Amino acid sequence: MIERIKKALDKCGISLWRINEMTEETAELFFVRRQLDTRRIKDVHKYEVTVFRDVEEAGRGFTSVQLIASMEDGQIEKELKDAYYAAQFAANPPYALADPVQAPPVEKAGELAQAPLAQSAGKMVRALFAPDTHEDAFINSAELFVSRKRLRILSSEGTDVSYTDANVNGEFVVQCREPEDVEIHNTYSYDGLETQALSEKVEEALTFVRDRARAQRVLKSGKYDLVLSGNAVAEVLSYYVQRSSASAVYAKYSTWQQGEDVQGGDAAGERLDLTFRATAPYSEEGIPMEDLPLLREGKLQAYHGPNRFCRYLGVKPTGNYKKLSSGNGTVSFEELKKGPCLWAVTFSDFQMDPMSGHFGGEIRLAYLIDGDTVTPVTGGSVNGSILEAQKDLTFSTDRYVTSKYDGPYAVRLTGVSIAGAGE
Amino acid sequence: MFEVIDRVKPGLQKLIAALRETYPYASVLAVADDCRSWSISRGGVNIGTPRMGGGTGYVVRVFDGTGCAEYSFNEFSEEKIPGICETLARRLAEQGKALEGAAPLPTPVPADEPAALKKETAWKVHPRDPGDEAIVKKLTALREKALACDARILDAQAQVAYRSCRKLFLSENRDLDQTLMWTTAMVAVMANRGQEIKMSYRPFSVLGGAEVLDDMDAGVEKAAADALELLDSQPIAPGEYECVCDPDTTGMIVHEAFGHGVEMDMFVKDRALAREFVGEYVASPLVTMHDGSAVEQTATAFFDDEGTLTGDTIVIDKGVLKTGMCDALSAARLGMAPTGNGRRESYERKAYTRMTNTYFQGGEFTPEEMIASVKDGFLLESPSSGMEDPKNWGIQCMVTTAREIKDGRLTGKIFSPIVLTGYVPDLLKSVTMMSKTPELSGSGFCGKGYKEWVKVSDGGPYMKARIRLG
Repeated sequence: MIERIKKALDKCGISLWRINEMTEETAELFFVRRQLDTRRIKDVHKYEVTVFRDVEEAGRGFTSVQLIASMEDGQIEKELKDAYYAAQFAANPPYALADPVQAPPVEKAGELAQAPLAQSAGKMVRALFAPDTHEDAFINSAELFVSRKRLRILSSEGTDVSYTDANVNGEFVVQCREPEDVEIHNTYSYDGLETQALSEKVEEALTFVRDRARAQRVLKSGKYDLVLSGNAVAEVLSYYVQRSSASAVYAKYSTWQQGEDVQGGDAAGERLDLTFRATAPYSEEGIPMEDLPLLREGKLQAYHGPNRFCRYLGVKPTGNYKKLSSGNGTVSFEELKKGPCLWAVTFSDFQMDPMSGHFGGEIRLAYLIDGDTVTPVTGGSVNGSILEAQKDLTFSTDRYVTSKYDGPYAVRLTGVSIAGAGE
Repeated sequence: MFEVIDRVKPGLQKLIAALRETYPYASVLAVADDCRSWSISRGGVNIGTPRMGGGTGYVVRVFDGTGCAEYSFNEFSEEKIPGICETLARRLAEQGKALEGAAPLPTPVPADEPAALKKETAWKVHPRDPGDEAIVKKLTALREKALACDARILDAQAQVAYRSCRKLFLSENRDLDQTLMWTTAMVAVMANRGQEIKMSYRPFSVLGGAEVLDDMDAGVEKAAADALELLDSQPIAPGEYECVCDPDTTGMIVHEAFGHGVEMDMFVKDRALAREFVGEYVASPLVTMHDGSAVEQTATAFFDDEGTLTGDTIVIDKGVLKTGMCDALSAARLGMAPTGNGRRESYERKAYTRMTNTYFQGGEFTPEEMIASVKDGFLLESPSSGMEDPKNWGIQCMVTTAREIKDGRLTGKIFSPIVLTGYVPDLLKSVTMMSKTPELSGSGFCGKGYKEWVKVSDGGPYMKARIRLG
């Protein structure tokens, strides 16, 4: 198929191009309680071809098309010609394409990448249900996706690289019927067969849902010291990811400069220490990926992003990262929760708006902590601003790891506005 | 454009026959996709093929001794039929062995009653007809118009996207063929106050084609004015207020706060409080709620992704919960008829119960009368996000703008951003006024939890209710 596409590109007079070939196979399982709802398997093989076109005085444009092997040659040529025609109207200031890279295939190591999908799925299912042994709180339903991919990237500039990837992800809902019938929705995603981590996550979720079942709607409106944990910490930090992206800086949505103290000089708490982790050997443009320091002591170390925007800013193209790590953390989680605070454990949907810096969500379970008194509460909402909150951050030394985040389990923010549920 | 469907149809019929030799039920959904998007912003011009439909491919569904199983693939020819059958059987056996005999969820084999149709939705102008150059020029002009509104505007974005697809559903007794097309557009305007960027946008959508471009001019100045107003917005004092929701905000409440709670796969899982309230008042008698294809919007279809014909489901009738929406598997498990709401993100994904076009019926008032009736409250506009809570009917919806109303008049004061919380029936029972004409918007996608994005529309009239804001 690759040779057919190359031949068609040549026939259409397209000299600048990139081909992304992807094959994926999955095993997918869906459960209601422990009963099998549906089993799914998937085998797909896709080709995405990006064609570039230089337009005098206008610059360089590109468009992409998706092709499959069952297409006839004439149809492939038609799709490519159509894309090449459109590309002239998408011209942007000129830039160099990604530098050529040739390297032997990179094979992902580990059991998840090597073992039969069904076997991996079976192990993760057993890990998922292992803690589900209680009468009062249990897994209501669950989904499991085991995926294995092979990706190859070729370009007219001479790039020809390939690698394999594997991932297991899904979601599960835990339920507790007494004293109030409640549930908590959870997601998980791992790069390996992290059976122990999944079991621990389920066990923790069962504890949380028990507490949600007895939580009271007594939260009063006001300003609180807010403790966020797990995925909510990564969501808060996503503000720094978006604002430092080359595309945001180029479009002037962000004024951040490399070396600038983007956390603000008046920050009294921990200074941010953030690093991007390379989770694949190459970006989708074929740019070799490596770990990239993002913030040190709250100061911006690098812009990041796809080839075009990095070229515009005159920085080395980094590719798009999918995992952020944080080196922060000065006190244990137990210490972090000391003193009056609200530990918001689960939300219906916790979101950071990177444009405004506002973050928030409706609270499904939080613990109102005041000395030795810990009261589970539900209802109400968080409405905060990172522009204010970043002045006083404290992170836990306890860690939390997913396929997208590796950093402190929790962060404490001071003086965050909470809308209550109890008045 | 979708000749591939005609080409593969005889082979797919042979595939069904081959699978039926082993399985008591077999069906296949074939999808051929055509998408394109055009956008312009300070970041540049972009013409692309967004992955909103998943591309061209196939999904086979069978029932075996364990229950329902599916196989998604995107390479098909008659020669591949033995291989498809062998792969499906082998991998299901491997999975069964690895699961060490996990019990199946009891599910009756679908009845597969005979049905046949071939239909397509209409459009005035196919988005490919004006040509890429004309569409980019139009978007460029819209963007420049927005930028010219005020020097404080940081950027303006204009974009158009369409999806046209043909879907063929085949089983032993069903032969269903539909071609659908929707087009959406948006103008967004950004203005900044220091590091804080405020954005306002105007969405447009149509079950149809590039005719939606004609509507965009009218939204530019409003989007610009709203973005500038937001620069002076303040945080709201949390509390419960009398609110008038604009049709988009009503739509978000219909969809996020209530609609997800009556997706009946949640009934099967004991995840929906609504199951206990069928036949009871859950809303004011002013509230009647529909879902389905009786209206022409972006989620209109003639059959769903499981081969069930669509219709008009009255979910709430004058405040009483009548029924939910249901996919085929959940309907079989609940012993009821499916409602045509079994939808997939793409041929690569599972079908779940999903909403389509979901809305409240209109009432008898004008928006002006409704605002005049508010002593101390807010006009809520521009919904930005929402999340379902079927189990507990908790509300989490966010809107960008709350316009203050005092003694029946808008004061000009703006509050933003706003989180709506509370208990869904409390909100719906507090509805006291509805405006006459419902308006639907289909510019967005809906997720099930945090994934499985499908095109939906929602809306309603202006609606007055008491809502907790924060």
